[in-house]
Amino acid sequence: MTEQKQIAFTIDGRQVTTTAGTLVIEAAKTQGIEVPSFCYYPGLALQAACRMCLVEVEKMPKLQTACTLVATDGMVVKTSTDQVHKARKDMIEFLLSNHPLDCPVCDKGGECELQDMTFRYGLDKTRFIEEKLHYPEEKWSPLVYYDAPRCILCFRCVRVCDEGMDVKALGVGSRGVQSVILPNEPGTLACEECGMCIDICPVGALTSGTYRYQTRPWEMTYVPEPCAHCSNGCKTTLSVRNNEILRANNRDHSGFNGEFLCAKGRFAFDFTSNPERVRQPLVRRNGKLEQASWEDALEEVARRLKQVHGTHGGSAIGVIGSNHTTNEENYLLNRFARVTLGTSNIDHHRTADYAGLAAALGSRAKESLATMSDVYNAPAVFLIGNDVTNQNPLVAWQIRTGVRHHGLRLYVLNGAPSKIHRQAKIAVEVPKSSLLDAVQYLAKEKGQFDAKVTESLVGLKAALEAEKDIVVIFGAEIQGAAIRELVSLASRFGGKTRFMALGDYSNSRGAADMGVLPNWLPGYAPLSDASERERFGKLWGGEIPSTPGLNRREMVEGAISGRLKALYVVGANPLKTFGAANPDRIAGLELLVVQDMFLTETARRADVVLPAASSYEKEGTLTNTAGEVQMTHRAIDPQGPRSDFDLLRILSHQLGMLGLGAPIRLRTAEAAFDEIRHNVNGYDLSQVNLLAGGSEIATPGLKNAEAPQDLPAGVIFSSNDFLFTSGTLGRYCSRLTSTHEAKEKPWSSSPSTQSWWHR
Amino acid sequence: MHEGQRNRVMQLPPQLDEKFKQLLSRYPVKRSALIPMMVYAQDEFGYLGDEILDEIATRLDLQKVQVEETLAYYSMLRRKPAGRYHIQVCTNISCMLRGGNELYAHVQKRLGIGNREVSESGTFSLEEVECMGACTGAPAIQVNYDFHENLDPDKVDAILEQLEAGKVPKPVPVISGALHERNKDEVVVISKRFGIPDAKKIDAYLKNDGYKALKKALTQMTPDAIIEEVKKSNLRGRGGAGFPTGMKWAFIPKDSPKPKYVLCNADESEPGTSKDRPLMELDPHQLIEGMVIAGRAIGSHQGYIYIRGEYRYLLDIMDVALAEAYAKNFVGKNIQGAGFDFEISTHTGAGAYECGEESALMESLEGKRGYPRIKPPFPATVGLYGCPTVINNAETLSTIPAIINGGGEWYAGLGVPKNGGTRLYSISGHVNKPGIYELPLGYPLRKLIYDVAGGMRNGKKLKAVIPGGSSCPLLSAEEIDVPMDYDSVAKIGSMLGSGGTVIMDEDTCMVDMARRIMHFYAHESCGWCIPCREGTTWLRKMLDRFHEGAGREEDIPLIDELSKNMLGRTFCALGDAAALPTISIVKKWRNEFEEHLSGKCRHKAADDVLAVAH
Repeated sequence: MTEQKQIAFTIDGRQVTTTAGTLVIEAAKTQGIEVPSFCYYPGLALQAACRMCLVEVEKMPKLQTACTLVATDGMVVKTSTDQVHKARKDMIEFLLSNHPLDCPVCDKGGECELQDMTFRYGLDKTRFIEEKLHYPEEKWSPLVYYDAPRCILCFRCVRVCDEGMDVKALGVGSRGVQSVILPNEPGTLACEECGMCIDICPVGALTSGTYRYQTRPWEMTYVPEPCAHCSNGCKTTLSVRNNEILRANNRDHSGFNGEFLCAKGRFAFDFTSNPERVRQPLVRRNGKLEQASWEDALEEVARRLKQVHGTHGGSAIGVIGSNHTTNEENYLLNRFARVTLGTSNIDHHRTADYAGLAAALGSRAKESLATMSDVYNAPAVFLIGNDVTNQNPLVAWQIRTGVRHHGLRLYVLNGAPSKIHRQAKIAVEVPKSSLLDAVQYLAKEKGQFDAKVTESLVGLKAALEAEKDIVVIFGAEIQGAAIRELVSLASRFGGKTRFMALGDYSNSRGAADMGVLPNWLPGYAPLSDASERERFGKLWGGEIPSTPGLNRREMVEGAISGRLKALYVVGANPLKTFGAANPDRIAGLELLVVQDMFLTETARRADVVLPAASSYEKEGTLTNTAGEVQMTHRAIDPQGPRSDFDLLRILSHQLGMLGLGAPIRLRTAEAAFDEIRHNVNGYDLSQVNLLAGGSEIATPGLKNAEAPQDLPAGVIFSSNDFLFTSGTLGRYCSRLTSTHEAKEKPWSSSPSTQSWWHR
Repeated sequence: MHEGQRNRVMQLPPQLDEKFKQLLSRYPVKRSALIPMMVYAQDEFGYLGDEILDEIATRLDLQKVQVEETLAYYSMLRRKPAGRYHIQVCTNISCMLRGGNELYAHVQKRLGIGNREVSESGTFSLEEVECMGACTGAPAIQVNYDFHENLDPDKVDAILEQLEAGKVPKPVPVISGALHERNKDEVVVISKRFGIPDAKKIDAYLKNDGYKALKKALTQMTPDAIIEEVKKSNLRGRGGAGFPTGMKWAFIPKDSPKPKYVLCNADESEPGTSKDRPLMELDPHQLIEGMVIAGRAIGSHQGYIYIRGEYRYLLDIMDVALAEAYAKNFVGKNIQGAGFDFEISTHTGAGAYECGEESALMESLEGKRGYPRIKPPFPATVGLYGCPTVINNAETLSTIPAIINGGGEWYAGLGVPKNGGTRLYSISGHVNKPGIYELPLGYPLRKLIYDVAGGMRNGKKLKAVIPGGSSCPLLSAEEIDVPMDYDSVAKIGSMLGSGGTVIMDEDTCMVDMARRIMHFYAHESCGWCIPCREGTTWLRKMLDRFHEGAGREEDIPLIDELSKNMLGRTFCALGDAAALPTISIVKKWRNEFEEHLSGKCRHKAADDVLAVAH
């Protein structure tokens, strides 16, 4: 990066040195000087509309807007003169002339920027005795309401929707004092329902359909959480009152997602209070699942597991883990499977080939994995496959924002159209089936395409090779040997190359990292490596079987065929995926145990269902698709269900008493994380940042790079969720499923702005 | 993907379809065609329904809300049908002074409908409108796009009767006050072809020195020499701000790789001003010639003439003139064989005063809401489509051929130092001879009123003068011994402005004048910045109340203070334009505010005025 020119100017008598091009309002911030503003919003287009940031500048006759004024050498700025104070007071007076003074009943009261500004800079009386304008409130969608009289027309919402989201669902209607914000399609909005407009609104004009008029902000506690849905791991702040989550939003912008949240992070926390939630253990008696006490249920599980183990051995038991449970739980499950139950049959729904990437990068993993911030900061991004707008909304936001802020160059190679292609410098679309061939072509210039595609591939290759610092992001389409191909291709790009594999769910990456895989131990320690087996065996107090286990698909098939006698499922719904037709029990199976929040297709067929807590209800850590680890917190008490951590721990004690395996002595998630930090490759993370609500990047890689293995089809695949689905969990988020857009699938991979309204 | 469904389009009448295609070919950016498309579609269907907007959005690749928000900004565009004859009565200052309010009240009564209402039969709709540029023919109305001027209730009745009988009455043949016997003091430069039969046709234009300057500029002058000549002429912008034209042209970067644009600001809408209208109506080629020369000077190859929507007939006149000029190769490729290309298109506005502000005009030309832009950067570097742009008032550009023909020095010599040449004044209000006059810069205001404009009507005493459009601080009768040039008028605390000189006699209620001026600015405030948006509306409401007789003593200083709270703090000059006249009225005619507190109003029919003011 070239050295940027520095300039020196004076603000309120202080000499400030700053980078040339810095706005006075930003330079003031660095000095702890507040210059008030409504319309100015860092990262969005400048407006100079609210006139709150007027400051005095020597040699300029009029007051200047600090939000558009670029500091220059020798400039003398004063932000605290009588003239400035009067201007602020006058602007507030103008602003309040048509603003309803209904703060006591306004949804925004207590966290309203206008209220704060009036308190700090405004008059304590009104001189306005004329009639105020009034308009009725509008319901734009079930999630977004607009109250025009409260709107101060700062146009933040319009800008974030247009510039930030590239959705353009909002505009300005009428003119002058009658101006109002217009929705694209009244009653439905026909947008991505991200709710960014609500968050960015400084006043009570835009309110959330899920939160409005339920509480006062000071009555709630605020709990930061990584979002429970997709693999991007956005930090969302839960607002909790009386053990109920009333809101999720993003006001402190302290996560790597900055101000971004999508509809899932903002609205889809309602699964926690879904009436279908299983809150008491269920045991099948006389063919029917009946409520049971925890004691009875756990005793039943332990007794029958011991029985199967005793009769058929550990290899007759399969364990299917989750994309949503914490790292600690996944780590425990691994131990539970391999040491307690003595089986290598452990897997989960793999939505990206993280192991493949770890294998291909080997010891280079540490410097070769890209974080979410890297995506934004990168000079260039090469995106292969995936529909990031729908499947990885934060990745899409980071790319869009990078393009907008510093001209990030986006290159796309995809098997289907996607909205993100609008931002691309080069976007090459090939038939879905030939995506891998296209990667091959880029690597070796081998393969047959029609002339037009060949030409664009040649152009893409040349452009990529000219890049010096690039982040390569790929979806589940790229797996196994293809990753190796991609990594070696990227090693021929000019300079620094970093990678990111895109998975589906909140802890997809963590499940892989913790070794919920038949042939890998935590941190991608190969099961085939005797020393690694010994290391973990010692740690876990037992012997680890060396035979590779069955994958998830094989386990389900084995359960149906009778090859497996017991299946232990944690937070997963494999029978839905593989569509076991039998609506009742699986005949070949002696025991099916399910730990879950809901009676999923799998849980309904179980012999014992143990109700589990969600990540919003327990302590632990999650790893996003980029490898960024964050802590979850117990925002609310789950009222009945227990954490998967506790369930596994207790069960190990029960089994221990029956003589099967050693009991798990780790009593807390914190203790388990400690063990992980000390023993899992790439997870030796500092806790300081994590405890402060930040993130740390985990970089598990193999000691020696080895060729990733091609896995049979159906082992690694994406669910291809879109903005309003979230696997099985999404079905229990009525706020997501009830949106108009969820039914219409308006964006479904459309590259055009036209997708929704020319129906 | 909904590509298939996207192609489901409304079947358009062939002419409109053709027009749309033509419009799309005019601009490098599709969205620029949005406002003209809506105007032509409204002409066709009477209003803009869902289906046609859908169709337009499809053709322009826009979201529905982008179309809706643009439409909502422009006061002439409507989502619901108007009457077959849309009667628009101007009540802005020039018309108000000559009975516009009474006329409006009369039409309301006669048609039995109020503002923005449609008669039961659907024949008529009524709208009280802002200044439509018929100030020298006040009071005036427009029936659809037709101007009818110098009206009184009887004349309006006659018009309405004809319309009721299904006949369309003839509009004024030519803007009132343009064709008159020349005053001896007039120096006729840009209006010299006014009155020549068929002067708007190219043959007549060519017979009367037409396109001589262009040939000279193309064959005998370098671009720099043209700019130099314009600098020498001391020509200053005739839109109101008075910026030296030559200097503005010289700001255009010579080494920019981007295209450059020449824009003609013909969005004349400063209340009291109707002087660009006759220039386009009577001598369109003079403007075209000026634009091509400007293009040559700055190295541009594309010009647009942005004409206010109310001047719809001028759009047609300019289009015809352009076709003639293209046919004779004074516009287009390789003009007159000199190797210079320059294209010109007209572009219609749709009712928004703010679009007269240069950057708002560019936004509007790009098919957006007419919000002004942050400056710097200025248009000379970042203008239309982000490219270097020269934007000049229609009168300014119309002056260029004369300067090239006669030389900068000659032109400068017609005026006074730093204020070169002549300019058009549209004089309206309480004078005997309202009209459009061309006078040298520095001409005494007193003579302008008492000599050129024939003195005060009915022998009344002069009370107040707006020197150049309603944005100027008002002058009292004691202040009229001032030469009309930019610097002299500025020296006494006002502005030469747009040349729209409005004269008020002793019977004028100045509170009412302040009220009407504020109504205009509140109506035209774009709503972008807080002080203008809220300030103008608050002041409008206060002045309404005050004039109704419900004023309080503390309102008088409050009116003054609120105006000053806007002054100098708004995003663009519209806030100042609202504040300045108000401050001057409170200062100079405070006694009239005080009289209102005791129920007195100087206006003879104040109650009538008030009855219709809402």
